[in-house]
Amino acid sequence: MILAKTYIKATSVGHALALANESGGSFRYLAGGTDVMVNKFQGNDEADLLIDISDIESLKDISSTDSHLIIGASACLDDLKKNQIIALHFSILLEAANAVASPTIRKTATIGGNLLCENRCTFYNQSAWWREAAGHCLKCNGPTCLASGGNKNCFSKFVSDTAVVLISLNATIEVIDSEGISIIPLENIYTGDGVNPRQLSKTAIIRSIQIPLLEDSISVFKKLRKRETLDFTSLSTAVTLRKNGKLRIALGGVHAKPVIVDGSIGDDLNALISQSVSKTRIIDNDTYSKSYRKEMITVFLKRSFEVLKLS
Amino acid sequence: MQQISLKINGRQYHLLVDDHEMLSHVIREKVGLTGTKVGCEQGSCGACTVLMNGKAVLSCITPAMRCDNAEITTIEALAKDGKLHKLQEKFVEKGAIQCGFCTPGMVMTALSLTPTLTKEKGEDSFLFQIKEGLSGNLCRCTGYKKIIEAVVEYASEYTDKEQINEIEVITKQTLKGAVGVPRPYIEAEKKVRGAAEYADDIMAKNALHCKFLRSIHSHALIEDIDFQDALNLQGVHYIATGKELPVKFGVLPISQDETAIAIEKVRYIGEIVAAVAADTEEIAVAACKLIKVKYKPIKAFLSIDDSLNDVGENEKIHTYGKFNNNIHKKAELRFGDQPQGISEADVTGKMSFEFDGINHGFTEPHAATASWDENGLTIITATQVPHYLHRALAKVMEVPLSSVRVVKPYLGGGFGGKSDPFPHEIIVAHLARKTGRPIKVRLSREEVFLTNHGRHPSRMTVEMGISKDGILKVLDADIAIDGGAYGSFGVVTSYYNGVLLQAPYKLNNFGFRTYRVYTNKPQCGAMRGHGAVNSRFAVESLIDDLAFQIKMDPCELRMNNFLDSNTLTVGQYRITSNGSRESLEKVMEQSEWKKRIGKLKKGKGIGVACGFFISGSALPIIWNELPQSVVHLKLDFDGRVLITSGSSDIGQGSDTMLAIIVSEVLGIGLDKIFVLAADTLLTPVDFGSYSSRVTFMVGNAAKDAAENLKKEIIEALAKQQDINSEELNFTDNRIFSYDKKIDLSWLEVVDILTANRGAVSVSGKYISPKLGGDFKGAGAGLSPSYSFGAVVAEVDVDTETGYVKVTNIWGAHDCGKAINPLAVEGQLEGSWHMGLGQAVSEQMKYYKGLLFNNNFLDYKIPTSLDTPDIHANIIETIDPEGPFGAKEAGEGAIHPVIPAIANAVFNAVGVRITKLPINVEDILAKMKENRLLSEKMNG
Repeated sequence: MILAKTYIKATSVGHALALANESGGSFRYLAGGTDVMVNKFQGNDEADLLIDISDIESLKDISSTDSHLIIGASACLDDLKKNQIIALHFSILLEAANAVASPTIRKTATIGGNLLCENRCTFYNQSAWWREAAGHCLKCNGPTCLASGGNKNCFSKFVSDTAVVLISLNATIEVIDSEGISIIPLENIYTGDGVNPRQLSKTAIIRSIQIPLLEDSISVFKKLRKRETLDFTSLSTAVTLRKNGKLRIALGGVHAKPVIVDGSIGDDLNALISQSVSKTRIIDNDTYSKSYRKEMITVFLKRSFEVLKLS
Repeated sequence: MQQISLKINGRQYHLLVDDHEMLSHVIREKVGLTGTKVGCEQGSCGACTVLMNGKAVLSCITPAMRCDNAEITTIEALAKDGKLHKLQEKFVEKGAIQCGFCTPGMVMTALSLTPTLTKEKGEDSFLFQIKEGLSGNLCRCTGYKKIIEAVVEYASEYTDKEQINEIEVITKQTLKGAVGVPRPYIEAEKKVRGAAEYADDIMAKNALHCKFLRSIHSHALIEDIDFQDALNLQGVHYIATGKELPVKFGVLPISQDETAIAIEKVRYIGEIVAAVAADTEEIAVAACKLIKVKYKPIKAFLSIDDSLNDVGENEKIHTYGKFNNNIHKKAELRFGDQPQGISEADVTGKMSFEFDGINHGFTEPHAATASWDENGLTIITATQVPHYLHRALAKVMEVPLSSVRVVKPYLGGGFGGKSDPFPHEIIVAHLARKTGRPIKVRLSREEVFLTNHGRHPSRMTVEMGISKDGILKVLDADIAIDGGAYGSFGVVTSYYNGVLLQAPYKLNNFGFRTYRVYTNKPQCGAMRGHGAVNSRFAVESLIDDLAFQIKMDPCELRMNNFLDSNTLTVGQYRITSNGSRESLEKVMEQSEWKKRIGKLKKGKGIGVACGFFISGSALPIIWNELPQSVVHLKLDFDGRVLITSGSSDIGQGSDTMLAIIVSEVLGIGLDKIFVLAADTLLTPVDFGSYSSRVTFMVGNAAKDAAENLKKEIIEALAKQQDINSEELNFTDNRIFSYDKKIDLSWLEVVDILTANRGAVSVSGKYISPKLGGDFKGAGAGLSPSYSFGAVVAEVDVDTETGYVKVTNIWGAHDCGKAINPLAVEGQLEGSWHMGLGQAVSEQMKYYKGLLFNNNFLDYKIPTSLDTPDIHANIIETIDPEGPFGAKEAGEGAIHPVIPAIANAVFNAVGVRITKLPINVEDILAKMKENRLLSEKMNG
């Protein structure tokens, strides 16, 4: 018969971790759940146990220390704009958050969830029936990548809009699991392997995101998509220039992980662009073609440099 | 299963829910509040929006378990003490409700949005906040224009005054007059309350649920189906396979080529191979997974070229037909002398075009419930054409026509996509007969896309010639359309692609060759603007190019070539009223065309195009001697007039149109008029909502019926006293003569009429006049009247990314006479919005015959943020044969908007668009070619 599915609302992070550790079968944490539920609907996520962490108040706090802005991972994307510090210093983060999905989804979707949004591909984000008809791809336990026509690597796209901005801002994340708490640069959790795009322990929960406050910076965010709302990214770019002259470029949608290029004022901008482009791994698994997305990296970065008055 | 407590609309519920059940399912199926709609199941359309603790959430992706102890507010809670919420009133008043399927979600989103809005940054920002706030809610009918108007007004009052003043609500009671008075649909209140029942809202007692196993192969022989394991599953009642339903059907008598379930072979990925009836949908889904099918794949034909090749008899997709390949239909018509036309032309142009297929994208997925009793079959289903479904069901079920009742409930958008008899409708009828239980089916959005019947992918080459002074000399079109696996309306589509090019311009030398091929993909059929949208695009693009070549204003060129009123086209279409000129003049004036054309900087552009369309096909689909439409009226002692009509209101407002016409003739208020429509047991036959026929044909039948009732009244009065019928006025619920010798209230008249007789029933009909030539193919595109129109579009093209932002659409449409101007505007705005989608973002993309983008995230219907300002202008030419001069408004307007956008792109960046949707990459590539070219020429 139909398998028993379970749902439990965790009352604290400790409770959530305990539930995860005890779960015999597959489980999934649910923050906003706006992606997880669609993946479940399509049969891509077959977790039997859903551990809902959206009611844990401590995960929603937004606060600051002398050095960092600390955003609880379960803060809703739509709620970020209510925080004065974000509005004042990190309007780029609001831009990225507002570029995620649709306004209604953003009322439920969380920033932590967006960082962990599953990689996407036209051959993967389909119903179980569809994937059977297509012949399963690497990411759904098939032998090869269909999008690339038989490659042994998975090219599913990293699509988090807030992540590219946070990485450009040198954000770190506070991760908690049964081993304890650790603070790591956000980019470190992304593997570049489309099948398993994140290297967090199975029970890990992102508790918060920490953005350095001391480094005065200006940033530019851009996103390529067909419609002005709803759509996942075909290319996201975030460029942050710090007062100390350091420049950080982060790209989304063009690799199984975010693409990061560091530079400084005075660097050859074209070299930075070609370095960015050369680090991408784009194939035709998007509504826009591979060559177009590649071409747009240059356009977006040039425009960003202009805004930052670098060119 | 766990028990949760939640408050829904103030009432406490303790419910057992599945752990992974969605809130939408609980609200609809367990609590029975069906005002909350499910349109996409994956958070992409917004129809399921409800408030959870005051915050808008998408109930289709919200786990019900999360709502334990929460307060849920659904659309049903908004109206209080019998009065609509002010926001609901605004939706009604502004005409923001057409099919009404997106309405509950839209209202809930707008409600939660309003307190967050601010006018601090000015009106433009305020408007943007609203457009952005609504952008997660898709509407396919309105183009968002009237929805945004409603929310802007409500929110302005809210923001300005913190509370809403009493608004005088325009309702059917307060509006005076009938024809020509803008008014909300008669059912608008029911829709905005979430009380209107759509096919999936009907909960039949003791019903079983049906799910389908669908083919995973494009073209394959079915060698074996083993469903024993599935049948053994507890809760499964019946599993049907193809051989149980061997009778073929199709909407056209000449294309009866489809069975409800595939027999022996499958012809597209997604075709139904088996159907399960089970206690619940979940069990039916599980059973489908247990069915084992052994396929033997055979060569698949996935493109027009594949299907043109000669193949062996065993390789053909269909064995009937006279060709050695997979061509379904060929047609060719020629008028005048085309070589002569070419030789007379000073400039000729020949261009080739390619179009991807597109889908109707109605927000309500197909759904149906079938049951049998002593009188036979009753099916309640989301259909545009109860009559043809009636015939198809009788044929396939092998029962008399008198044993089939088709009922259309409220319908969430059709656009042509609900106008064929569908396999799922036949299958539930079959399963209901086999199990003796009502059977319910609803299609997922993915299944809706697989069912398709959308606009054909097409390619064509068009040649035109023109004199130096801008007179069109010749038009020759060579058209191929990709029909998918079955016939559907395809033969008509094939013809329409050609014949509907013979207007709105005068052409003495005109011809076309067209063919439709079968391919192993979901079938194509009729979609808004049927058959001629793509070829119209080609012709209007070519005309724009010719104007450019002879350095003539493209508006002037069109003006020079319009057909006159009261004339015949070269293919013997009878043109009566013709508002082409007025339409074009209007949009030129409104867009300040003369001031702006040729003076815009690079990247900005304006473009123009025109079009025309039939006002109902003069010939029925199935040849018979029935009138095109019959309308019955019943007047009883209480003074109420009941209109019964087989016509289908699919959100376009036809029920309201009928009420207005009867109201106008009889001079009584709409509060005394009731419409009962689209029930093949209770209502007289109408052929259905297709070919833009309803206002013209059913409207005429209703007018005829009302006039017959008027005659009855006059006769009854004449028996009492000497009267001159000419002198009698029927106005404002009174019947009076000028000399006031007769001056009676409606009820007094009703007493006189019904004395010793009781209720009076009368009938009215519409029969199309004999039209057209006597050559083969002369019947295609014949209509008693034609609509005309023009659009100017404005675009902003990003020259580095190629992104085309449509910034304004000015449109004008000659609908003869707007019976209900609010509804006509809604049709026009919706048409232009749909055209915008085909122009810039919509396409059906396939991977080896498998549809890639079968959901509302990947199939890109423009949102409120993507939709520009739309300026609708109604042009009235008072058609001599239309009811009060009216003709169609539902489809024709889509024709000019797409080429107008493309021509604006040419004006902006010098790139001629020859593929739809407009592809940013093509624009960039062609701009580079242009630049290279101009550099070379300058160098």
